[in-house]
Amino acid sequence: MKKLLTALFVVLACVTLFFGCKKDNASSSTAAPAASTAAASSSSSSSASSSSKSAKLTPISVLYGASVTEAGALPSDWPGYDVLKNELGLDVTFTALPSSANDQAQRIQAMGAADNLPDIFQVDRNVLTNLVRQGLVAEVDDMYAMMPHRTEMLYDENSIAHTTINGHSYGLASPGSIAGNEGLLIRKDWLDNLGLDVPTTLDELYDVMVAFTKDDPDGNGRNDTYGYGAYIETNTSDKGYPGSRLLPILGAFGVEGIWDMTEENAGLNIYKPEFYDAIAFIKKMHDEGIIDPNWLSYGKDDFRAAWKQGRFGIMKEQNAAYASESNYAPFDKNFPDGEWIIIDAPIGPNGDQSIGPWDMSYRIYAISQNAVDEGKTEAITKFLEWMSSDEGYMLAGFGEEGVNYVLDENGLPVAGDLGDMSYTGSKGQVYTQLRNMVFYNGDMELASRYPTYTTESGKEMSALKALREMQALTWTPQVGVSTLPTPSADVQRYYEQSLAEFITGGRALTPENWQAFIDQFNRIGGKAWNDQGVQWMKDNNLLTK
Amino acid sequence: MAEAVAKAKKQKAPRNLKPESMNKKVKLTAADHVFNICVNIFMILTLIVIFIPLWSTFALSFRSNTYLHSQFRGMFEVWTWVPDAYKALLGNAGFIDAFISSFMILIGGVVCALILTIPMAYVLSVHTLPGRKWINILIMIPYVFNVGMIPAYLLVKGIGLIGHIPAVFLPGAISTYNCIIMKQFFEGIPNDLKESARIDGCNEIQILFKIMLPLSKAIIMTVGLFYAVSFWNDFFHAMLYLSGTPVKIFGWNMIDSNYPLPILLRNILMASGMNEYVEVNAFGNAPVQAIKAASVFMSAIPMIIAYPFIQKYFTKGTLAGAVKG
Amino acid sequence: MKKTSQPVVTTTKSGLAVSQEAAAVYKARNKAKLGAEIKRHAGVYLLAIIPVAYYIVFKYVPIWNAQIAFKDFMARQGVLGSAWVGLANFKEFFNSFYFWSLIRNTVMYSVGKLLLSLPLSIILAIAIYECTRPILRKIVQTLAYLPHFLSWVIMYGILLALLAPGDGVVNDVIKAIRGTNVGFDFLTSTKAFPWVVLFSDAWKEMGWSAIIFIAALMGIDGSLFEAAMVEGANSWQRVWYITLPAIRPVIVTVLILKLGTILDAGFNQIFMLYSAPVYSVADIIDTWVYRSGLLEFKFGLATAVGLFKGVFGMLLVFLSNFISKKVSETGIF
Repeated sequence: MKKLLTALFVVLACVTLFFGCKKDNASSSTAAPAASTAAASSSSSSSASSSSKSAKLTPISVLYGASVTEAGALPSDWPGYDVLKNELGLDVTFTALPSSANDQAQRIQAMGAADNLPDIFQVDRNVLTNLVRQGLVAEVDDMYAMMPHRTEMLYDENSIAHTTINGHSYGLASPGSIAGNEGLLIRKDWLDNLGLDVPTTLDELYDVMVAFTKDDPDGNGRNDTYGYGAYIETNTSDKGYPGSRLLPILGAFGVEGIWDMTEENAGLNIYKPEFYDAIAFIKKMHDEGIIDPNWLSYGKDDFRAAWKQGRFGIMKEQNAAYASESNYAPFDKNFPDGEWIIIDAPIGPNGDQSIGPWDMSYRIYAISQNAVDEGKTEAITKFLEWMSSDEGYMLAGFGEEGVNYVLDENGLPVAGDLGDMSYTGSKGQVYTQLRNMVFYNGDMELASRYPTYTTESGKEMSALKALREMQALTWTPQVGVSTLPTPSADVQRYYEQSLAEFITGGRALTPENWQAFIDQFNRIGGKAWNDQGVQWMKDNNLLTK
Repeated sequence: MAEAVAKAKKQKAPRNLKPESMNKKVKLTAADHVFNICVNIFMILTLIVIFIPLWSTFALSFRSNTYLHSQFRGMFEVWTWVPDAYKALLGNAGFIDAFISSFMILIGGVVCALILTIPMAYVLSVHTLPGRKWINILIMIPYVFNVGMIPAYLLVKGIGLIGHIPAVFLPGAISTYNCIIMKQFFEGIPNDLKESARIDGCNEIQILFKIMLPLSKAIIMTVGLFYAVSFWNDFFHAMLYLSGTPVKIFGWNMIDSNYPLPILLRNILMASGMNEYVEVNAFGNAPVQAIKAASVFMSAIPMIIAYPFIQKYFTKGTLAGAVKG
Repeated sequence: MKKTSQPVVTTTKSGLAVSQEAAAVYKARNKAKLGAEIKRHAGVYLLAIIPVAYYIVFKYVPIWNAQIAFKDFMARQGVLGSAWVGLANFKEFFNSFYFWSLIRNTVMYSVGKLLLSLPLSIILAIAIYECTRPILRKIVQTLAYLPHFLSWVIMYGILLALLAPGDGVVNDVIKAIRGTNVGFDFLTSTKAFPWVVLFSDAWKEMGWSAIIFIAALMGIDGSLFEAAMVEGANSWQRVWYITLPAIRPVIVTVLILKLGTILDAGFNQIFMLYSAPVYSVADIIDTWVYRSGLLEFKFGLATAVGLFKGVFGMLLVFLSNFISKKVSETGIF
């Protein structure tokens, strides 16, 4: 009994002590906003051994998008830390962003709301706009000149335009995924089995979809295949509902994407009569069951698992997701005779044709206003410039030579026989978590990322070859579409919900209903969105032709 | 009273959950038979309904990359199962760290939560306490007014906890829901026990430890389990407050990253959705779906192991014994 | 205090009796006696210090920060420095094109879950308690709570495997019966979606919610059953007249507490399961706030909606507590 009592009081005392400590912290952290960040990172300042050195180090906190989010964090023995400490006098703390875009937005905005943003952070454009409105993000116009080498490698007019808001650049935008990295794919072996030609027009494509659904193209005697495969993948700039995977179909009607950015027709595609026809066509695909009926419920993984199981014969897919070794291997094992070929988008009734809108994609690294106020500009540019130096680039992109990679006869980094510790191995890949901060889609990266290999069934495959083929397809240039204003959440919901209901039959697709939809859309803010978008295109010279 | 507790402890596990006295042979009527049949049918139906989807998820976690058939069929074809997904998960560089971090949150959280909840629940169960109504209102207001992410974030930042593990469990260290449930159970303990203890000269703190706690093991275990699971599964606060920085004890790097398991799992679950560089597969040969399913079982293991131990406290009529003694 | 010779099952009643008795006693006493009463409970107050301090720091400081609901919150100015905007944030919510549809869906799901899951979990608890086959009981008891550990991401995978129109198990059966090749898309049909939400939630949480009732059943005094048997009650009557009344205080408590959060209809579940075709029956207050507020740096709006939900919940808690005290003499305070 007494023991219990004493225990309780000890705990009581501890808790009071704890509260006391925290109040100290509270006062200090309000006095100096940086203190809490520094304390939180605590990477070396607390350890006794390095306390003498750390006095001279400038702390920099970085919130980055990890290259392999599902693997562990950047290990503390990453060799880059030593270089940063000893040669540049920087104490850099790296924190990986959460893996989903929504989580990232929440996390960064919460940090922003508490005026607690890290010095450098990766952020998407919508969130960046919100933060700029709050005055939390520093202008980086002058920083480009302070890091000439990195600017030469990563930044150009377009990338600067991507982060320009009210005449200032608020963030360093480096190349993201490669433009034009998706294409329309069709099962060549199914075409051959059924004696069909490669479709070029929308009508031919439709016939092939019907044949793929009804005529047992894989010859397994079961009615278990579909013509087209898709899943819903939308955003508010270039991938409007029903999403990226159906863009080639929309393209045949000349309404690919949310916006039309040509001079004569600038505005939302949804106002064009062809959009109605496109939705009617997709509805027909859905009703006839020639599109995998799961398409409205599939996630990306389900979709990718489905084509590897031979469920459908036509799809729009990304080059590496289709052709890189680890992704293609299961398909090859399941269907040694299976073969996908890349075809161009179908030509529609009015001669329109497009795989989809073509825009550069960027990763934005923004600098917080606090970091600039604290005089860290120089340290930050020094850090970023080093990251793009030969040494920094290799350490961030591939790890340590001889440990994580070796150079082949062409001077390209390869995994060699380094096994688990190689930059693609399960233990070594965490050393490349920072590579998104330095990669620029250069030839060396592409060659090492997309090596040519031979499949088990003896096919020679290369994701790089697939990429080049895809880039050569018919695309609609829409540079800068991702900077266009986004609709309010209600307008977006109305847009997507109405289109979805028209396709699934929740709302009858008739010209009257369509007109009612457009009217209501305009009333709740759709028209305003359209007008803002057109104005933005004019102001920023984004109109084509 | 001590005898009563001792007697309660001595009770053997009965044939069913009811107190031992219930298992004496009595003549069952037709209605009793119907009742038993209904209970058993309900139990069997529940078993089937719960078991099949669980089993299919379990089967999915052993799916091989080249298995062509549906998830349904995979449930039966046990011979096609491969442990690739589990191998890949255990090989993940961050897995052990995440486990350790999760355990720190779990233990810190449950200890704090019980230290706070038990006295609070006891205080609320003392009906003669002047001002009890105000304490009730004090705890109900935050329960219904969930003011959301930012007001709480500002507090955590204000007390300097951002980036530290207590930030994950302290803001949720007491749940009004659990507190009121526990109070409800405390109220179920007969007053004459407390009264006689008071007459014996025990003070309130002694009553709490000597009378209430020994008689409330089932509810303390239950509430402890509720807390444990909520801390173990807490993704949101960890995502908001932690930074994946190392945890150091006296300068020694205990773990490289303080991200707990739910963050790692979320990263795994969302990974293929975000990863631009789809050519790298962090999990070797295992299909993403199998990884997802396997991650569930891996993360639930501690709770699955702990539950039977907690269940032990559910098979004793502790209270009933006490009253009679 | 003499009444407590009653058996345990009626303790809450007796507890209440005590409180009523105490209330009567209070009235009779003068202020000096209140002082003595406070002194007598000094130990209890001592126990309350830490939890109350905790509540003030960790729960009331955020509530104080919630004044941003009435402000145009600017991060650099902080909570205090931001400008007051009156009820603008509330108006933005009320003026949403979807306001009434959000309220309708939210109430539909939370009431539906209450009506479905609560009785189911009580029945499951009683079935586990009454089951005479120990092996069956152990297996069910151990398995039933496991679904609670499945996150909604995984649950979506399970639902897809069951319900997908192309190759879902349920649809395979439907197709076989109907003799067609066209399945029914449960997840994107506005008719079926609400049921999917309700039943998947019941499936996932039934066993977990039953734990609390099982714990309550543990406290039932065996002598009551003996008495019932002597009087010739059968099993049904026993459950109805002894078991259920015995756990009624816990049921009422859980019910009232759930009513306090009636406008939380399960964000994680809906957010994972919904898609554009079913927005009209799926979008709830929390998903709307997430899209319109939290992802758009409109934290004033998000907090305002939180306060709105709180007022609603507070009313329901007090109302239901009042009614419950009148009707069944049990309540949470």
